[in-house]
Amino acid sequence: MTERIKSLLDRTFAKEQKKFRRDVDWKPLLDKFIAEGVDDETRARMGLEAMLAAEEPAFMEGETIHFLRTVKQIPDLHSDAEMDARRAAGTAFGEKGVVFNLTADFGPTIAVGLDARLDEIAARLAKAEAEGDAEGVNFLRNADLSVRAVLGLADRYGIEHVPHKGARTLHEALQFLRILHYAMWCEGEYHCGLGRIDQYLFPYYDADIKSGRLTDEAALEELEEFFIACNRDSDLYIGVQQGDNGQSVMLGGVTRDGKNAFNDLSRLCMKACGELKLVDPKINLRVDKTTPLEVYEAGTELTKEGLGFPQYANDDVVIPALQKWGYELEDARDYSVAACWEFLIPGVGMDINNIDAVSFVGSLDAAMRGASAAASYEDVEKAFFGEIQRRADALVKKYAHVEILPGPFVSVISTGCVARARDICKGAKYNNFGIHGTGIAVAVDSLAALKDVVFEKRLVTLSELVKLLDTDFAGRPDVLSAAEAAPKMGNADPRADEIAKRLIAFWGHAFDGKRNDRGGIFRPGTGSAMYYIWHARDVPASPSGRLRGQPLSANYAPSLDVPVKGPISVVRSFTEPDLGPVCNGGPLTIEIHDSAFAMPDGVTKVAQLVKFFVERGGHQMQINTINRETLVDAQKHPDLHRHLIVRVWGWSGYFVELDKEYQDQIIKRVELCA
Amino acid sequence: MTGRVFEIREFTLHDGPGVRTTVFLKGCPLRCAWCHNPEGQSFEKETMVRKDGRRVPCGEDWSPEALAEELLKNADIMASSGGGVTFSGGEPLSQSDFVLAVAALLKPKVGVAIETSGYAPGDVYERVISQMDFVYQDLKHHDADAFRKWCGGELGVVLDNIARLRRSGVRHSLRVPLIPGVNDSEADRGAFAALAGGSPVEYLPYNPAAGAKYPMLGRKYEL
Ligand code: SF4
Repeated sequence: MTERIKSLLDRTFAKEQKKFRRDVDWKPLLDKFIAEGVDDETRARMGLEAMLAAEEPAFMEGETIHFLRTVKQIPDLHSDAEMDARRAAGTAFGEKGVVFNLTADFGPTIAVGLDARLDEIAARLAKAEAEGDAEGVNFLRNADLSVRAVLGLADRYGIEHVPHKGARTLHEALQFLRILHYAMWCEGEYHCGLGRIDQYLFPYYDADIKSGRLTDEAALEELEEFFIACNRDSDLYIGVQQGDNGQSVMLGGVTRDGKNAFNDLSRLCMKACGELKLVDPKINLRVDKTTPLEVYEAGTELTKEGLGFPQYANDDVVIPALQKWGYELEDARDYSVAACWEFLIPGVGMDINNIDAVSFVGSLDAAMRGASAAASYEDVEKAFFGEIQRRADALVKKYAHVEILPGPFVSVISTGCVARARDICKGAKYNNFGIHGTGIAVAVDSLAALKDVVFEKRLVTLSELVKLLDTDFAGRPDVLSAAEAAPKMGNADPRADEIAKRLIAFWGHAFDGKRNDRGGIFRPGTGSAMYYIWHARDVPASPSGRLRGQPLSANYAPSLDVPVKGPISVVRSFTEPDLGPVCNGGPLTIEIHDSAFAMPDGVTKVAQLVKFFVERGGHQMQINTINRETLVDAQKHPDLHRHLIVRVWGWSGYFVELDKEYQDQIIKRVELCA
Repeated sequence: MTGRVFEIREFTLHDGPGVRTTVFLKGCPLRCAWCHNPEGQSFEKETMVRKDGRRVPCGEDWSPEALAEELLKNADIMASSGGGVTFSGGEPLSQSDFVLAVAALLKPKVGVAIETSGYAPGDVYERVISQMDFVYQDLKHHDADAFRKWCGGELGVVLDNIARLRRSGVRHSLRVPLIPGVNDSEADRGAFAALAGGSPVEYLPYNPAAGAKYPMLGRKYEL
C-alpha cells in the first residue's frame, strides 16, 4: 500500500469526510410535489436535480477519484400518506417502493460517455414525440434532465473528459463509475451493487498495462483509492444494519460466451481488498468445478482477515438454474448478485429478489395444529407441504400487481430503457420476484424429531407434542431430551438429510407456472434476510427442541443450538439437496475461528473445504472468520453462537460452553493476534 | 475387539497435512499436571457435566470396522486434500492393537498420523509408528526427576522410543508444550534441542485455558 493510499485510508477511518456534511430540509420540495400533483417520473428527476444542485464539490487531500456526499438527506419524493393511500388502493410495493437491490449496467455508459447517451435520448425523444407516445416523452425528457444534472455536478467538480466522454484509462473508468454509482444513491435508489467490475473495467486496465501507462502496482493503487471511496458515504446509505448497503462486486466466472473470466484484474481486486481490510466493497467470487485451488486460496486470504467475504457462487449450479427459469444462456453467464446474495443479471434484471418470505417453521407449526390426528409421519409431512403451498399461493396473489417508483437516471444506465422509451420501473428484460424460505434447518430438524419422538419412540402423541410446544416442553424433559438427541441437518445423517431433500425439492417447485403481472416468475430461495428474526417471533417452541424466543439460523445453515460434527459434515448435509430449483440466493454460512489460520496451511485447508462444497453442487457459500467482536457478542448472547468453535490448545471446544474466565482469556488472546 | 474413544473431531487444523479428522482415544498411563484433555486420562467411561447442567457421556466403544467406516465417510475430501486421520488421546498407544486395526482399514484410502506421549513399551511403539505416515512425538521434559514429578512417569521410556523413532525413518516432529516455570527457560530450550538430536522441534505456547474441562469432571486443575 502506498503512503498516499495509507493516508487516505487513515483519514477515511477517522471520518474526515464528515466535516463536509450538512443537513438540508427537503420538506418544501415534497410540499411542492404534493401541491402541484407532480407525477412520479418528474419527481424523481426533480429530486435528483435538487440533490445534486445542493451538493458542493468536496475534496479529500491527496485523492484523485472524486465525488463525495455532502448533503446528508436524500429528498423524500412521496409522503407516507401518499404511499399509504396507494397501498390502500391495492398496489403492492417492494420495501420502500423505489428501485433497490439492483446492479446497473455501468460498462456501456462508461465506454461511450454521457454526451453520447444524451444524443441517444434526443433521437429517441424525437421518435416518441412523432409517435405521440406521451409516457415515453415524459420519461425521456426527465432522463435527459437527470443526465444533465449529473454532468452539471461533474462540471462543478472540474472533472475532465469523463463523464461527458467515454473513459480511456482505468483511472477515468473508475472516476466515471464512482459518479454513476453515487448518482444512483442520490436518485434515491439503495442497495446499489457494483457488479462484475473485473469484466467491464478490464479493457481499460488491459490497455493501460499494454501501453505501459500503468504498472500492476499503479493499477492496484487506483483500485484501492476507488474502494476507499466506497466506504466514505456508506454510513449515509440505508440498510438494516451498518454495512448492509449492498455495495457488492462479483469477480471471476465466465464471459457471456462461456470463456473463463477470472483475470488479472480479478486478482488485483482481491489483493486490494486484502490490503485495505474494509467492509466495502463486498467481494463475491464465481467459481466452478474447474477453478484451481489457488483461486480459493486467494479468496481464503480475505476470509482470514475476518471480513466475512468472499462469498462464493457456483457457476455449475447457478447458470443452469437461471436458464431453467427462462434466462437466456448469455445473460445467465453474466450473473452477479443484486446487492447481497440474490442472483441478478446487471442491466437487464429488474427482479425484486427479496419481495417476501415463507416461514417453514411457521408452516410446520400450522400444519401440525391442523393435522394433529395424523396417523403417520408421512401425513404430517404432507400437511406441512400443503401449508407451504397455501402460503406460496397467497404470496403470488399478494404480489400480483407491484409498482416500482421510477428512476430516470438508473434507467439510462440500464440496458434498453432508452430504446424502449420506458423507465426501468416499468420492467426490464427480466421481472422476476424472489421469495425467501426461512428456517429450513429448524423445520427439517423438527420433522426428524417428531418422526422419532411421536411415530417411532412414541413418547407422546402429535397433539400432546403440540401442547408441549406452547409451554416449552414443561413437565416433559424426557421429550425435550429426545427431541434434542434426534437427527439434525448438518451431521451428514441421512435421517435428517432425506427430509431436507424432500422439503427443498417441494419448495423449489412451489411456484411452478405462477406469474406476476409483469410476466415474471417467482424464484424460491434459501435466503432469510432479516426474516429469520421476524419469523422466529411468530412461533412457540419447535419439535426440534428449539425453545420459544430462540432465533432461527440465518440463511442456509444448521440450527443454532445443535452440536454438529464439523464443517465437512455440514457441507455434506447442505449439498445433499438439489439446489438448482432454489437458486434465488441464500448462502450456506460457516463460521471458523481465526485460530484456524494460525498454522501456515490453514488457508489451504479452508480453501479445500470451499472447493469441496462447490464440487458437491453447493450453490452459494460464505465463511466467517470469528474474531474478538464475535466472541464478546457470544458471551452476551450465547444462544446465537452455539456453533462457535475455538481452538483452546490441544483441543477445540464450543466457546459458549467454556467458563467465563476461559472465554475472557480467549478473547484476550484473539486481541493479541489481531 | 473394541476401542474406547472419547471424541471424534472433524476438520482439525493442527494435527497434520490436509483435511483431517482426529480420533481421541480414552485412557493414558501418564498424569501431566497441565493435561488439557483430563477426560482422556481414565480408561473408564465417565460423565461430563456441562455448565448448563446437561450431562454428556464420555467414552464410546467402537469396533475397528465401525470406526473406520465412520471416518471414511469423509475419505473423498481427505484423499483429495492429502489429509487423513490422526490418532490422539489420551494415549493412543495404550490401545495399540485397536489403533493398528483401524489404521490398516484406513490406509488404502487416506493418510494416518499419531500424536503420542511415547509412553509405551518399545515393541508396541515400533509396531505402531511403522504403520504411520507421520508421528507427532511429545517431548514434555528433558529432566527425569521433573518428568516423574510433573507427568508421573519415567523419562527413559520416552527417550528410548524417540531413539527408535529416529531410527525408523518415519517422518516426525517433536512437540514441546511450554509450561511456565516448568520447562520454558532458555536453559530448558537448550536441553530440548540437545535431546532432539536434529529432529524438528515445535514449541507449543502454553494456553491458560488448558484447565477448562476439569470442572466438567468435578476435578480441579492444579497448575
Ligand atoms: S500424556 Fe497427554 S493425555 Fe496423558 S496425561 Fe499427559 S497430557 Fe494428558
